[in-house]
Amino acid sequence: MHKQGYGDFKYFVGISSLAQIATREDRVCVLNILGGESSEVTPVGHAWSGGNVVFGTSPGRSGQTLDTPAGPIPVYNSVREGLDDGHRFNCGVVYLPPGAARDGVAELIRVNPELTKIFIITEKISVHDAREIRAMAQQAGVDVFGANCLGVADSWNQVRIGGALGGDNPGDTLKRGSIAILSNSGGFTTTIAQYLRMAGWGTTTLVSSGKDVYIHYAAPEFAFALANDSRSKAAVLYAEPGGYYELDADFTKPVVACVVGRWKAKLTRAVGHAGAMAGGDDDAEAKERWFMEKFGVEGLYTPDNPVFSARGAVVTNIAHIPAALTAVMRANATLPDFEPEGSMDLKPWFGSNMGVALPEAIDLPVVDAIEPYRGQIRGLDRQLGTVFPRQSLKDASGASQMDPKTQVSSLHGVSMLQAAQKPLEANLGLALLREPAGANDQALIDVAIAAHVNLHGSAMLVAAEAAREAGNAPNAVLAAAVGIVGPRLLAPAQRFANGLVDALAAAGVRDATDEAFAVERIELGTDLTTDMLGDAPDPLATAMIRGVEARRARSLPLRWLLAQGGYPRADAVLAAIATTIGWGPLGRKRISRLSIQTLPSWLRLMATMLGASVAASAHEADTFCGIGRDTLIAECTLTEIAATALLGRRASADDLFAFRTLTGLLLTNGPGAISAQGAKGAVSADGPETPARVQLNKALLGFLSHTGFAHGGNGFEGVAFLLEQFADAELADPADPAHGLDLPAMAQRFATAYRAEKQRSKETGAPLRNIPCVNHPVFKDKPVNTDPRERFVREQLAARGQYNVFHDFYLALVQALHDEGVTRNVFCVNVDALIATLLLKLTWKSLRAGEIGTAELENAAFTAFLYGRMIGCAAEIDDHMNRGRNMDTRTPQSQVRFVA
Amino acid sequence: MNLTGMLHGARLLDFVGFPAAEVLGPGASEDQIRQMIERHGSVFVKPVFKGGVGKKGKSGLIGRASDLKHALAEKERLYFVEHRHGNQVAKANGVTFEAAVPAEHEIYFSLSVSTHFRAPTMTLTHKGGMDIEEVDEAHIARIPFDALTGLKAFVVANALTDIGAPPEIISPLVQQLPKLWELYHDFGMTALELNPIRMRPDRRGKLTPVACDFKCGFDRDDARWHRLNLPDHLFTADTSDFEQEINQLRTHQGQSDVYVINERGTILAPTFGGGANSLVTEMLGDDAIISSDFGGNPPYEKMKSVAAICFKHWLAQSNVLFVIGGKSNNTDIFETFRAMADALREHFSKHGPSPLFVVIGRGGPNLVRGMGVFRDTCEALGLPYRIFGFDSAMSEVIDYARRINDWMKAGGRDEIAARLGAAPALAA
Repeated sequence: MHKQGYGDFKYFVGISSLAQIATREDRVCVLNILGGESSEVTPVGHAWSGGNVVFGTSPGRSGQTLDTPAGPIPVYNSVREGLDDGHRFNCGVVYLPPGAARDGVAELIRVNPELTKIFIITEKISVHDAREIRAMAQQAGVDVFGANCLGVADSWNQVRIGGALGGDNPGDTLKRGSIAILSNSGGFTTTIAQYLRMAGWGTTTLVSSGKDVYIHYAAPEFAFALANDSRSKAAVLYAEPGGYYELDADFTKPVVACVVGRWKAKLTRAVGHAGAMAGGDDDAEAKERWFMEKFGVEGLYTPDNPVFSARGAVVTNIAHIPAALTAVMRANATLPDFEPEGSMDLKPWFGSNMGVALPEAIDLPVVDAIEPYRGQIRGLDRQLGTVFPRQSLKDASGASQMDPKTQVSSLHGVSMLQAAQKPLEANLGLALLREPAGANDQALIDVAIAAHVNLHGSAMLVAAEAAREAGNAPNAVLAAAVGIVGPRLLAPAQRFANGLVDALAAAGVRDATDEAFAVERIELGTDLTTDMLGDAPDPLATAMIRGVEARRARSLPLRWLLAQGGYPRADAVLAAIATTIGWGPLGRKRISRLSIQTLPSWLRLMATMLGASVAASAHEADTFCGIGRDTLIAECTLTEIAATALLGRRASADDLFAFRTLTGLLLTNGPGAISAQGAKGAVSADGPETPARVQLNKALLGFLSHTGFAHGGNGFEGVAFLLEQFADAELADPADPAHGLDLPAMAQRFATAYRAEKQRSKETGAPLRNIPCVNHPVFKDKPVNTDPRERFVREQLAARGQYNVFHDFYLALVQALHDEGVTRNVFCVNVDALIATLLLKLTWKSLRAGEIGTAELENAAFTAFLYGRMIGCAAEIDDHMNRGRNMDTRTPQSQVRFVA
Repeated sequence: MNLTGMLHGARLLDFVGFPAAEVLGPGASEDQIRQMIERHGSVFVKPVFKGGVGKKGKSGLIGRASDLKHALAEKERLYFVEHRHGNQVAKANGVTFEAAVPAEHEIYFSLSVSTHFRAPTMTLTHKGGMDIEEVDEAHIARIPFDALTGLKAFVVANALTDIGAPPEIISPLVQQLPKLWELYHDFGMTALELNPIRMRPDRRGKLTPVACDFKCGFDRDDARWHRLNLPDHLFTADTSDFEQEINQLRTHQGQSDVYVINERGTILAPTFGGGANSLVTEMLGDDAIISSDFGGNPPYEKMKSVAAICFKHWLAQSNVLFVIGGKSNNTDIFETFRAMADALREHFSKHGPSPLFVVIGRGGPNLVRGMGVFRDTCEALGLPYRIFGFDSAMSEVIDYARRINDWMKAGGRDEIAARLGAAPALAA
């Protein structure tokens, strides 16, 4: 059931010479051209091969293109559509997933009568599909290469088809010569070509055969085509156990066969190559024997015992291939194609003993790599910080994630439960430095924020107050202020930070808090240094410097700045603080240069938002919320400032603990949260691939506009519910366990009333109100349910001996609802309840004293959310700026819908 | 992924209506066994092994009994019997009782892939009941056939004629054997062997083929075998917890194949590429803990998960973390190295430092950036390292990793442990 081809085979073979496998005349269609692998590999091959791909397919993406250095390749829904558009091709390349590969082959064969060759890159195609692929191709007279291969290449024709032979720079490996390669391993096809080149041998045609159970283009037909290829003087074969392909090959030219896999006889199932499992007498030793018989040799070729004949040699180590080939070819009176290009000796490109003494024999010194790698390594040594690869960050983040099982989100690997135990200043470090800030960094952050939180006399404060008076919610108020802190205001500190980073790197600073480092070694350009200094003392700068000193915080850049004489500007001090904080993470490659450069801006923006959340009346020339400027800058932590801003009074230690727990839990809810989406969308729209154009304050507007009373203000629903329940309660102090209230009875009363309400709603069909802060889509269905986040915080508070009557009431409530038959099991008290109960506890006294009303309370609930989430969203913005692509949050037209 | 024996084989054959010997499982009652003996004269008692284990008959692991007492004695002997065949050691867990089928003719039949013909191939002889290797080639038919049309009756008829099979068995086999193609083709098998098929005469002397033993192999890249709803435990015999954990990550993008070579090995070698896997595993021998292939350009998340699982299971005992591959074609070195380095960093954060020497040999796209990440991680974690490019012979790099391992065993591990402030224990 096959067409008659070339040679005396039991099956169809349509290739008579290796020179026909990959030619400049071949025209290629790539199935699933926009898939992950193809979209990286096809452009390189296309450009190197003079533009041999005429089109590709990707169902649903017709009209798109795949950009390549040789111009865009059009994409169609199907092969037929491409042909109808006038394209013609003879080679099909299959990059489809394993379950679709067979159908792709059928499409190519049935639709295109001009098809002669198929190259299947797909791995893990079932044996079932492989035999059907073969049968279809045999009937149609089409040669198939693969599957599970890396395609073919021809060094003479400078063509590669399907796959990635030669890697991302094929010319580096594929040099014209006289040796053909057939390899079961795609990786080794290139590696062997590289080894040969170093020994002076170039290549003709390289075939990566794959090593599935069915190898469609294998040793027998390769040997036949080798004989007819005048360019190829010899061949290298790399073979693994399994199958009788090599036994049936009849070689008429010299061959070096490398057989690897003796150990695989021990295996009971395949690892890597599916077909590399010997069934019986087709194991590695058998294959070595087959080749030895073909070559008329008695043993394996090794450098110590070079056994070979003019017909060939057998090796079991690919490193021995070049020497064996040279020996065999010498016996054929043939010299290498060109001068050897290098040796294969051990040459470490990187190395360190890390202080351990190694014996001389293994203490290999680092050597210069070959070009172009040497230049790249030098560049790497000069590079500061990490560089993140760019990718689409739609619905993805390198900053936050949510564990779907526990529903606990994390920011840079720190779970919100852990973050809730840290102060805000540590978490701000976590967001922007990708690791929680240590004590020294926290002190510096506190100074920077405290210095910029007072907006007295600024346009930001005027705008915020106008927004507040117009009845805006807290997010819009903050937006009005932060919208003014544009790039021009932020530029000087960024420029200073940039200069400091260069200077610290040039001076070889490893630790930016090193007290012993001589500041004279740090050199900045005169212009920049001059710009960092003013003509007269800058009160803000002076206060910041005093603050750093008062807190005994260490900063080498600040020490350098002070050593310059003159009067440092506030922006220069801010830049010095930021570079100190960022230097460690930068050196540890945790953050990029871009991140440290924007760090001063972030400190300023965070302070502005914090400041704008407080009414203008609290901003005075020398005080903020009644705290004197010097005290604020020299003593207050970010947590204290934020708690004061929220509560309108200095918070107690217990209040601070509750406050940081509350804000810590709110940092992030993963990249799917609306607030994160807003922030990321704003970065995406500016174009993160040109980071200088991303406006940080505008990105924060994206975050702020994507919060609201439903997302951010929902803690208030719980507060309102609790107010209703405690309306008549004689409660002076919610922190006092001896409150005298009968919580189970209160809960029972509500549950009874609610059950009646539920009954009525059933009868009338009227909607039933929800009880806020109970139940959860994940933590349900057990007899007694618990939200692990709620339990964690409850235990934390209990360990500190802190009591919260509202929390206690919620626990009684879920039990009462079950006892009353309202719920089928005991619902969990969810994480929103924490926000409500903590907040109400913090504000209860002011509320009862009539100092604030429910409207203020609702604003406070929303503001508390914004405090936590603005830090998390700063992390998202920084991450998206570092990793994202322009407009990557856009939803493709195919995935949006119209609703009538 | 092999299955042997009639316990499940009979059920599979029933799917396609192929007659099979009556079989009772390990839970059979004494009454059931007695009744089977009464009906058939005698029963075979065979141990049940997970997976595929051959040559049971030759090892005396098949009992035959014609009364209940002997049947129960054989059950006791074989229930937990251990069987060694080649490199495989298997322990039975249960026995089957299979009805004896008296017959004059025993047939061997198999379907498999022939790399010689590169097509599905039937192997058939009427001199079955023994290993196929022991049958005279003149009596064996090996016939390739078209995968699209399948095994047809005429293929069987011609084959039986060619090998001179007795005329009375031809018709029943021609009717029944093609059914087996459906079982083979539609349920994701790579091989199917029935030996023997006994030709049981009915009262009128008409013969019916009855399968009396069953072996098959399933293709783990073919989901069709899931249709059979076979219990998972049948295929877990030869996979460790570690392998199972890694196998859960098996997708078509990026390999994640592992095999535990030596649970007490001291070199942990994440390997990239099937070729490198062969060379590395061969050269490292028992020093290697696992044989692996993580090539195929795995995405960051997958590579990190794979590395994290490897570290979780094996890092504590490892002297050398040896990341090795050839000059990759499309595997992004930066992405894969960044993933492994991050996993290593996180492992150290979670479990504390572990004395380790890192040796790397690699080539491919984004090489220097990838190496840079690993260098920075080693520096940050305080681990000594050597990183080689593709211009160092892979076999030399492997040998270097072995020499480092030898030094680690000879006191190097303690030195590194002292510097890291880590416990040197655990490694060999």
